[in-house]
Amino acid sequence: MKYEYTVETEDLAKYYTMGPAIIKALDGIDLRVIRGEYLSIMGPSGSGKTTLFNMIGGLDRPTRGKVYIDEVDISKLDAYELAWLRCRKIGYIFQTFNLIPVLTALENVMLPMIFAGVPREQRVKKATELLERVGLGDRLHHKPGELSGGQQQRVAIARALANDPSIVLADEPTANLDLKTGLDIINLLRELNREKGVTVIVATHDLKMIDVSDRIVYLRDGKVERIETRREIAIEIEEE
Amino acid sequence: MSSAPRMEIGKIYMPFGEAVRIALEDIRRRFVRAAITTASVVLGVAFMDALLILAAIARVLGGEGAGVQAYQLWILFISLLVCVVGIMNSMLIAVAERTREIGTWKCLGALDKHVLLLFLIEALLIGVIGGLLGWVIGLLVAVIYGTQVGMSTVMSALSTSSVTIAGLEFLPTAISTFVLSIVLAVFLSLVASLYPAYRAAKLNPAEALRYEV
Repeated sequence: MKYEYTVETEDLAKYYTMGPAIIKALDGIDLRVIRGEYLSIMGPSGSGKTTLFNMIGGLDRPTRGKVYIDEVDISKLDAYELAWLRCRKIGYIFQTFNLIPVLTALENVMLPMIFAGVPREQRVKKATELLERVGLGDRLHHKPGELSGGQQQRVAIARALANDPSIVLADEPTANLDLKTGLDIINLLRELNREKGVTVIVATHDLKMIDVSDRIVYLRDGKVERIETRREIAIEIEEE
Repeated sequence: MSSAPRMEIGKIYMPFGEAVRIALEDIRRRFVRAAITTASVVLGVAFMDALLILAAIARVLGGEGAGVQAYQLWILFISLLVCVVGIMNSMLIAVAERTREIGTWKCLGALDKHVLLLFLIEALLIGVIGGLLGWVIGLLVAVIYGTQVGMSTVMSALSTSSVTIAGLEFLPTAISTFVLSIVLAVFLSLVASLYPAYRAAKLNPAEALRYEV
């Protein structure tokens, strides 16, 4: 892997106008995410986590500033190129799982590979492998409605990894899960992060995420409040 | 960062066969919604077929008032208009219900045209099914109603075994209304779905994902 930083933002800002008021969802974010890193973005709701998620994911355009994915300025990409980037470079995981309800687990995982032009046989093989990896080898032909929340999130993780992306972006992946299931999902994300070397960026306010994160970015009112590495946190705990 | 490297952007695929398969699955799994949309098509087409076939029966039986009356054409036109509005309404609700799903599609790499294609294929399938059902119902209504009105004529036709001749004369009408039904149903369904499908395709992914049903 050739680039040091998978994601880089420069003075990234997103303003929303609500009537006469301007809401600064993001206000000058400078962030560098190292390849293979597990980064958590923490902050209270309304701090701009989801907006940052959307900007890094190429789902929305910034008001000001830049986002680089693998050193490419994504604000310069057109709709087609952005769609390709979303398909091949980024895997998305959501709070509400967002599986396609009419498709089976296997078909959901195969979907990004259809867009990538992977032949059917290979699609089936790879999707099966991924679902087995996340522990759903016996649930391939179940529809999302027939799966529990934790199982649905596992399918979503498998789907996010379908095209071997550079980045997995997760927005509150554990918010709709109970404590134990949430912890399983966090650990699974961590394992896959190590195994595949994929950069994981998680927007969360789940404190369980701290243990597995390499770095934690604290957001407040659309600004980076502070960044902590795991070592610093470990020291803090020792001192207490 | 001055000499930013270009990413080698590749192609995005959506084989037509896969799109049809997904659209079919959508109709099957969301049966109630699809059935309501289809009902709009069925009603419009059935009414038209019943009128046309009744006129044909009247002609074959040599009965009174052969042909479709002008005022009936007006009612037909209005009923088809209502049918279009019904489909459009139903499709708009379908798009609203699936807003977050459309956002997800776009996250996975779908282009606007893929979303458009999916909704239009669904409209096409609904058109074909609606046209077929509408024709069958229209035919049944016309034959039952027609035979009741012209009962004596039919009876006499039966007794003189000229019913086969009547049937033969009737056959072209059956075929032409069948073709007309399918073509018209598909056309109406597509026209009515264009705007909803366009709206779905143009959704901003970030907003679509935020949407609460």
